[in-house]
Amino acid sequence: MFQMIVTGLLCGALLGFVMQRGRFCLTGGFRDMYLTKDNRMFYALLIAIAVQSIGVYVLISLGVFEFTAGTLPILAVIIGSFIFGIGIIFAGGCATGTWYRAGEGLIGSWIALAGYMLVAAMMKSGVLLPLDKAVKNVELRSNSIAGSFGLNPWVVISVFTVIVGFLVYRTLRKPTVKIPGLPPKRTGLAHLLFEKRWHPFFTAILIGLIAISAWPLSAATGRIAGLGITTPSANILQYFVTGEMSFINWGVFLVLGILFGSLFAAKMSGEFRFRLPDLKTTINSFSGGLMMGFGAGLAGGCSIGNGLVMTAMMTWQGWIALAFMILGTWTASYFVYVRPRRKNKQATHAVPA
Amino acid sequence: MKKTLEVMGMVCPFPLVEAKEAIKELHTGDELEVQFDCTQGTESIPRWAVEDGHEVTAYDQIGEAAWTITIKKK
Repeated sequence: MFQMIVTGLLCGALLGFVMQRGRFCLTGGFRDMYLTKDNRMFYALLIAIAVQSIGVYVLISLGVFEFTAGTLPILAVIIGSFIFGIGIIFAGGCATGTWYRAGEGLIGSWIALAGYMLVAAMMKSGVLLPLDKAVKNVELRSNSIAGSFGLNPWVVISVFTVIVGFLVYRTLRKPTVKIPGLPPKRTGLAHLLFEKRWHPFFTAILIGLIAISAWPLSAATGRIAGLGITTPSANILQYFVTGEMSFINWGVFLVLGILFGSLFAAKMSGEFRFRLPDLKTTINSFSGGLMMGFGAGLAGGCSIGNGLVMTAMMTWQGWIALAFMILGTWTASYFVYVRPRRKNKQATHAVPA
Repeated sequence: MKKTLEVMGMVCPFPLVEAKEAIKELHTGDELEVQFDCTQGTESIPRWAVEDGHEVTAYDQIGEAAWTITIKKK
């Protein structure tokens, strides 16, 4: 128990710290692929996946733990991820993003988190469990990409790593304009940790390394999995209302750690303040949270569990989930950002001057 | 001419969306000051400004989670 608390909190705090300082926002990244044709954050995610994939498969080869991809609940993954993608646009952040923004003092994120935990718990052990089970029943046998083609996983990992390397090279080679930064007020380590802007690719490598470390740390406490947000978030609520100790696991301390790590990072950089959203944002945050809980519960993971971890494990589940999650964010972005503006423009043109 | 856009309390990406709209109303050489408190904006607003060819003439943190940036229209 002691080990679980210490390593879970520590791993989560590191992740929360790095995400807050690195401004690692997957929701914003997916959204900007569509809105501003900017793929940088998506490439950053691919880097984190590649780093984690290599690290975790080395650990598996060394026999530190075992991994089997299991079956693929195809329908649940597609529908769930698409709804999750819509939800994170309304909530203004993915599951992890919501945890770390809660640490920055955003009350809207606390509200989104409440909705997310509630529906995720309803899917795992509540009234929505029969629905969850029914949709998950539609499944395909093979979940491992390498397995489906009868290949060694390292072949798939190598091909993927080469593609990511090429995308990174192409992005970094482009001439860039210098982005003006805030005037430095600190020096040395304090400047590097609490002030300097981090390159998203650098942040991504750190996230990949943290994601690798999560596997053996979590496995050592009996939970053989990597980073995960949805089940642990639901577990907190399930524990609170049942008092069952069985709901407490490494993941619970991981998500709490994200909150503390981000809180520490924000406090130290002068970026913490309780911020109250307006009514419209509040409603969006809560409904976004509900959709996130439903979607992630059904898909068996959020942008971290499926988008970062199951992708790195080279499973169909991870990559199909990532694709539909991104489609969900684009669909919601159209309705939230693009269409209202077009309507506004039409309205102004319609009125004679 | 200088216009001030106060978007405190707006969450990402709305401060940026509002700034993009506001600068359309300005003439070349006019300045737009944006006051915002969305952390992600510290990255996205200056990036958009220079990538669109405008000039950032002032940028500072004015308090706990509060920033101001002045953009001169190209």
